Amino acid sequence: MQTMAHVAFGVYAFIILAGAILAVASASLVRALVGLITTLLGVAGMYLLLASPFLAFMQLLIYVGAVSVMIFFAVMLTHAQTGGDESAPAPVRKFLLAAAGAAVPALVLGGLLYHRGVSGAAKPAVVGVEKLGTGLLGAYVLPFELISVILMVAMCAAVLLVWEKRGKRK
Amino acid sequence: MSPLTLYQLVGLMLLCAGLFGIIRRRTLVGMLICVELMLNGAGLSIVAAGQLTEASAVLGQLATLFVMGLAAAEATLALAIIVVVFRRFGSVKTSDITTLKE
Repeated sequence: MQTMAHVAFGVYAFIILAGAILAVASASLVRALVGLITTLLGVAGMYLLLASPFLAFMQLLIYVGAVSVMIFFAVMLTHAQTGGDESAPAPVRKFLLAAAGAAVPALVLGGLLYHRGVSGAAKPAVVGVEKLGTGLLGAYVLPFELISVILMVAMCAAVLLVWEKRGKRK
Repeated sequence: MSPLTLYQLVGLMLLCAGLFGIIRRRTLVGMLICVELMLNGAGLSIVAAGQLTEASAVLGQLATLFVMGLAAAEATLALAIIVVVFRRFGSVKTSDITTLKE
């Protein structure tokens, strides 16, 4: 069983890595979005490996189902060019800056992980969905209710922002 | 290496990919995609820390659920702002959106 878990971890890590590279490097935004969805699926697999299947389902529902569709709408509404919005060659300076910006947290956090890493348990704790529900309605009821308020406000704000008054259309 | 370190390394990889992309991308939609990458790395790291250490596993999973809810709200607002910017400037390239007031 332990070897199977390692193999599954390797497969999911590969899926995540490939998706992230596609999402960051591809010229076409639609392909970048496909890469993002691949990464999200890989992360859902990691949640399954961590013995939290509820989170894996939520990851599929919220991210793969809702957020990526919303980004597809963003691509559509902004008239993305077929050749790819990012097809023009990037300046080398910007590429170097981006590499430096990514390398600094990689070095700092990676070094911390390497030297001061916590050796956790070998097996993840198993928590049932009923425990999560009790937590949501018990100790963490205020953030749970606030999330609904935030979603409501975000929806109203989105509708208001893109509202077009009648007659003002160009 | 302990399993916790492996999961944290994957989360760190996602963070770095997102940071690299958010600086390199030249359209707002591309930057939004990279933000989602970083949020996923954070969620994975939180869940791994909750499940594999002495810390409360329920708290770890609930924190990631809240991160997902906030990410959905953030994506909604970012989409609306991108549409408004596109209507005003006719483009979502960051190099074209340089004026505060015309």
